[in-house]
Amino acid sequence: MGAKSLLLLVLLLAGCGSTPKAVDPPRVKAALEAESDGAKRYGRGDYAIAARRFEEASRLYASIDDGTGTTRNRRHRARGELALGHADVALTLVNAETVDVDGLLLKAQAQLALGRPDAARQTLATVTCPAACPQAPSLSLLQARVELVAQRPAEALAHAQAALALLKDKDEAAETANAWRSIAAAQLALGDAISARNAATSALEIDRKLALPEKIARDWLLLGDIEKVGAGDTAKSAANEAAKAAYQRALAVAEAAGLKEAAELSRRALGMTTQVPTPAPTQAPK
Amino acid sequence: MSLLIQHDSDTAALRRGTRRFLIFAALVTLALIAAIVVRQGVFRQTTNYSFVTDSAQDITKGQAVKIAGFRVGAVDGVSLKDDGQVVVTMEIDADHMRFITHDARVELRKEGLVGSATLEILPGPDKSRLAAAQARLTFSRADGLTALANQVRDEIVPMLKDVKVITGALADPKNGLPATLARIRDSADTLNALLANGNQQVNGIGAAATRVLGKAEEDLTHLGQTLEATNKRLPDMLDRTQQVLKHVEQITAEAEASVPSALRDGSAVAADMREIVSGAKQSWPIRNFVDAPAPATLKADSDPRGEAGRGR
Repeated sequence: MGAKSLLLLVLLLAGCGSTPKAVDPPRVKAALEAESDGAKRYGRGDYAIAARRFEEASRLYASIDDGTGTTRNRRHRARGELALGHADVALTLVNAETVDVDGLLLKAQAQLALGRPDAARQTLATVTCPAACPQAPSLSLLQARVELVAQRPAEALAHAQAALALLKDKDEAAETANAWRSIAAAQLALGDAISARNAATSALEIDRKLALPEKIARDWLLLGDIEKVGAGDTAKSAANEAAKAAYQRALAVAEAAGLKEAAELSRRALGMTTQVPTPAPTQAPK
Repeated sequence: MSLLIQHDSDTAALRRGTRRFLIFAALVTLALIAAIVVRQGVFRQTTNYSFVTDSAQDITKGQAVKIAGFRVGAVDGVSLKDDGQVVVTMEIDADHMRFITHDARVELRKEGLVGSATLEILPGPDKSRLAAAQARLTFSRADGLTALANQVRDEIVPMLKDVKVITGALADPKNGLPATLARIRDSADTLNALLANGNQQVNGIGAAATRVLGKAEEDLTHLGQTLEATNKRLPDMLDRTQQVLKHVEQITAEAEASVPSALRDGSAVAADMREIVSGAKQSWPIRNFVDAPAPATLKADSDPRGEAGRGR
């Protein structure tokens, strides 16, 4: 009884002692709540609902003529759509607004996802971002991905390592994992399977901590590819077994998370019969 | 003496008789003469009119002159002028002068197709002014048999010409009736051949239709068997379906009563909860501990699907 009374007293004193907070107008409050909720869901990997909440927030900001809030939430939504695999929608959203560094990076990301590396390269060439700018690691990582697609693994490795260096001591776990993944892919292409396996394992550890199923599944796929080409002096049969095990882990994660595309990639890697047809590529605006 | 006396009295009686007869005869003769004179219009008041025509055909002196079918006078004279024109003078009773207007005309008509000719005075439309005595009226001849014949001839002759042309066209050996008949004959032959061919095809179709009908009959037999089997099983199935439907209806009825109220209640509770939480958040001192939502910043992620390692 005494402890409860003491707690109540402390609460009262804290409430009286603090400064009263300004109350936002209802629409601003609703927009902020929608945006905040969307961000929480995006962080949990619930991209579909996150995209809807960002869309709602964007509409609310537009209704009160808040351009900054509208643009910010459109970009949030574009990121949600990219995570959902709707790169064409994301590109439309990004194309509809004034383009700055963040916008250009999102545009390049969408173009890469749509299989247009040349367009992505051109977009990235227009980005002005010194090494100190906060988006520099993302820029380097996107350049690394462009180089990977263009079969230039050495340049890709250089960009990815630069990104990793920029991300050191920063609280950017997702981008750090992306950097490790790009390094692994570049080293695999360069034939350095041991380094590639280490890098891929680093990426997988981070993605597991972040609890992002699609990235985990793709990390396992990458590990399977690395094992398949044979790491070091491992016997060929053992390498194949290790690769198969990695692909099966990828398939298990993808099926559990309901990721059709990742599951399909895993089945193909395992040499299984295709069960789910790959959707036809959508025509997206350039 | 007595004989002489008797003879004298007889003679006197005879003389008286003869005298009476002569007087009577003279009176009758005078009456006859007077009647003739009166009849001839000697004492009648008349007015003369005239007209000019090219020919005196069918016009004679004494010929009746009529108005509206009533005799009102007669032709008084017909004379030939120096220029070859014929002047006809009519004598009209003064009593009937009121019918003869200044624009009246005289028409020569025949009574029927072959009857005697009469002159008919036709009053003009202007009744306000009568024709003066001795006035010269206009003359015309009504269409008689000759005119009628001429009219008939004028109408018949073109028809006869057309008939001649048609007959000629029909008689044309290339495009006329014979050629047409020949073509019709050819067409009839072709049609016969076509009909014969059609008959053959219809016979063929009939055979095929018979086969199809036979097959259809077999199918219908199978269908009948299937329906019999279905009829046997259907009542049980329907009974069971009906029972299930009854259950569903009962459940639905119960749900209708309970679900909406439950939903309403749930909704009301949720709204109340929102209001309570919102109110609590805004109330002192809790609002001081709750952070108001702020613009969100998403963590950078240039590869949200991990495609760098294993692309699309």
